[in-house]
Amino acid sequence: MDETSNERQRILKARAAALAREPENSDAEAERIEVVEFLLADERYAIESVYIGEVYPLKDLTPLPCTPAFVLGVINMRGKILPVIDLRTFFDLPNRGLSDLNKVIVLHQGAMEFGVLADAIIAARWIPRSDLLASLPTLTEIRAEYLMGVTEERLVVLDGGKIISDRSIVVHEEV
Amino acid sequence: MIDKDAEFLKRLLVTFKVEADEHLKGMCSGLLELEQGALPERQTELVEFIFREAHSLKGAARAVNQVEIEALCQALESIFASLKKNELTASPGLFDLLQEALDLLARTLPDAGAERAHDDKALQRRLINRLEQAGKGGSGETGKRRNGEALKGGSGEVVKDRTGETEKRGNGADEECLPDSPFPRFSDSGKLPDSPIHKISTDTVRVSTARLTSVLLQSEEMLSAKLASSQHVLDLRATATAFDSWSKEWARVKPLVQKFKSSKTQGENDEATHKKRSLTRLLDFLDWNSDFMKSLETRFTAEVKSAERDSRALGGMTNNLLEDMKKVLMFPFSSLLEILPKIVRDLSRENGKKIELTISGDDIEIDRRILEEMKDPLVHLVRNCIDHGIENPAERRAKGKPQLGTIRIAVLPRDDKVELTIADDGGGIALDGIRSALLKSGMLSAERVAELSDQELMTHVFQSGITTSPIITEISGRGLGLAIVREKVEKLGGSVSVESTTCSGTSFRIVLPLTVATFRGILVRLGERLFVLPAMYVARVLRIRPNDIKCVENRETICLDGAPVSLARLATVLELPVSGWESKPSDLLPVVLLATSETRIAFQVDEVLGELEVLLKGLGRQLSRVRNVAGATVLGNGHVAPILNVTDLFKSAVKSAAYSSQRSAVTDTGEPANRLRSVLVVEDSITTRTLLKNILESSGYAVVTAVDGMDGFSRLKNGSFDIVVSDVDMPRMNGFELTSKIRSDREYGDLPVVLVTALASREDRERGIDAGANAYIVKSSFDQSNLLEVMKKLI
Repeated sequence: MDETSNERQRILKARAAALAREPENSDAEAERIEVVEFLLADERYAIESVYIGEVYPLKDLTPLPCTPAFVLGVINMRGKILPVIDLRTFFDLPNRGLSDLNKVIVLHQGAMEFGVLADAIIAARWIPRSDLLASLPTLTEIRAEYLMGVTEERLVVLDGGKIISDRSIVVHEEV
Repeated sequence: MIDKDAEFLKRLLVTFKVEADEHLKGMCSGLLELEQGALPERQTELVEFIFREAHSLKGAARAVNQVEIEALCQALESIFASLKKNELTASPGLFDLLQEALDLLARTLPDAGAERAHDDKALQRRLINRLEQAGKGGSGETGKRRNGEALKGGSGEVVKDRTGETEKRGNGADEECLPDSPFPRFSDSGKLPDSPIHKISTDTVRVSTARLTSVLLQSEEMLSAKLASSQHVLDLRATATAFDSWSKEWARVKPLVQKFKSSKTQGENDEATHKKRSLTRLLDFLDWNSDFMKSLETRFTAEVKSAERDSRALGGMTNNLLEDMKKVLMFPFSSLLEILPKIVRDLSRENGKKIELTISGDDIEIDRRILEEMKDPLVHLVRNCIDHGIENPAERRAKGKPQLGTIRIAVLPRDDKVELTIADDGGGIALDGIRSALLKSGMLSAERVAELSDQELMTHVFQSGITTSPIITEISGRGLGLAIVREKVEKLGGSVSVESTTCSGTSFRIVLPLTVATFRGILVRLGERLFVLPAMYVARVLRIRPNDIKCVENRETICLDGAPVSLARLATVLELPVSGWESKPSDLLPVVLLATSETRIAFQVDEVLGELEVLLKGLGRQLSRVRNVAGATVLGNGHVAPILNVTDLFKSAVKSAAYSSQRSAVTDTGEPANRLRSVLVVEDSITTRTLLKNILESSGYAVVTAVDGMDGFSRLKNGSFDIVVSDVDMPRMNGFELTSKIRSDREYGDLPVVLVTALASREDRERGIDAGANAYIVKSSFDQSNLLEVMKKLI
């Protein structure tokens, strides 16, 4: 009995110590970005988490008439109406196969707020800026202006700020 | 009357005190931060900030005739003006002086409006003198020092006289100047019996609109919890009925079980004994099972009951919460109307007019957001009354009117709306002015203008199309702003109308909804989708037989009350796939008749589901404006339904079907149908041209002819026409080209065009529609009644 509780104590302490340890090169902090990695049509993408308000499950989507194709519709997010966008259509990517699209990643900056659809959320993680490589045209069909870069493991890191502030994402049409 | 004025002044003073308190707090905290030594940039900021606060307080004081406060603020303001220009440098003495001034302000404020003690006034005069001295930058360090000291001595005594706490205030000041305390000196003054700040701010709290909105959203979300809960109760009840069928089945086999139980088994061998034992066990289990099910049923019934109770409680709480939330956002009209007496007083003095303002019904409450939006339109209308409505005393005397003009503002509740009337007893709107302005604008022909009834003319006052042009502003100044007034009011979901009689005055009537957000809506279904149409535009919901639809030259119409009404399919207008209603011609088609003051169109839908209360929610910044969609609402079941924009729908319907709806002239109050309208006939064949001219002239139209498109367009530029009837195949410029040219023209873009042509093919017809023609009549099947009917509908 004592043996196991001592053992448990030891393991917990070791864990706590591991967690409490300072990251090895803490001055590299500025050189890293935190991203949320997600799956969209079998491709792995990531967006910097500073632009992400939350991830919301897509339960009920109301399509809106008279909107561009990239606007999938609106959802009710705790009483607030949130537009939901399909990034693949916005980026003019070819639509390959069927997609789950059951997660809404809420992007926001200032008063601008909308959701983009994802098939699944993989993880939130830090990646060093130095790992971001300029994209090769063959790697992704997304235009370079929306990209922060691509990692060696072929994770496509999107420029969240650029997408949010892009004028072409705003729908303003008169009859 | 005097009582009323006094009461009004009292209310004004209360508002003023709250406002003044804020400015004072701002100045105090700013001054303290400045005194504690801020960074240079911050210093500039602070000086500017305090300067503005002093300036605002001065203005507010002047508005309520608080001359003394105004004078003190004036002195403070000029000090900070000098500081701003670096003509003066801050010194400890100066800070003391300024603080003393603020203290005096703080003491004076709560008594604003009451007669002040004589020595108090003397103190203020001295203080103002010192401030003025200090403000004279050239007086130098010694001067300021001296002022400061004199002040310390002088005012200290007075403070002591009043409160007996001078020492404490003076000595404690330094410790109290904590940077995180917004107004330390006043926290000290809390010990005074009549602390201004504590007195004023206990029963009101300032909450940011954003936070309130968020709370409102969350309370609205409680609606779905309420609905989910009642749905849950329904499910539970359905489950409870399952016990009934169990009871029935059990009742059926129960006698059998009893029979087995009572029967004695035959035979004494082991097998029989064994069988008997097993059977007994089974029968016992069945009994136990029955009891168990019964107790389960009892428990379940109790659960259902408690779920029902919870659901009811939740429902009640949600309703109360929502009601209270709405009230939080409701303000009495008085908070808007209170600014008017001052404006009227000042403006009438400026204009040398004598005007009395009466306000009634200002205790009626309305959504705060509506009040905020209404401020500018209201001020504009009142200004109009003074500037252009009410005549000067001499004129009034000449007309035999009382010298004192009256502006009457009345708020009246109307069902779930509010009617706001702004009326003056002035000269009224000069109808001739509108007429000449309309003529000058070239929008209408002289004949048409001459035919317009007074009421029709009056509606042109609001015309938005001619807002920016000078003509309307020349009509006694009413115009430029009136279009904006109408726009604002309509944006709020209200309407505005005007009545005016020469010599006896003008009256603007504004009908507003009580809250911005909720209104009645008609829920309709198109295929799988649900949409909400604002009920205020729904004139009627009806069912029509497919063969009631008459196709008149590319436009479907139905007959309502003897008048043809255009019919559009809502799905087509919204660019949605049309469901196949035509497959069952016997079915009645649900139709919603939408109407605005100008026009009405019937929209065919798949189903009308009912009327409901909806809350308009914006679509967010990304969907800044979506065609035909005004916003969205969350339905009771938590689903979102788009709310349609009726004005857009009308435009889209006209566009998508390439037809023009009837203009206001047709739908408006009993106006003669056949008035002299001018037609431009463009036709290269002389015989056809003459024929058309004869037909049209004998039907009461004024006809101008042109020999081809080019000629037609130049004639169009030189005259004013209600409609164009054109051939297609012509030299130089054909009918399609002419139509496109008209459509792309700013001035004539909306002019109805009827193409009359020998080209009967579908392609040609489509080309005509593409070019923007409103109707397409094929010459081979031409008959004059057809043309006249089409024209009548278009203009």
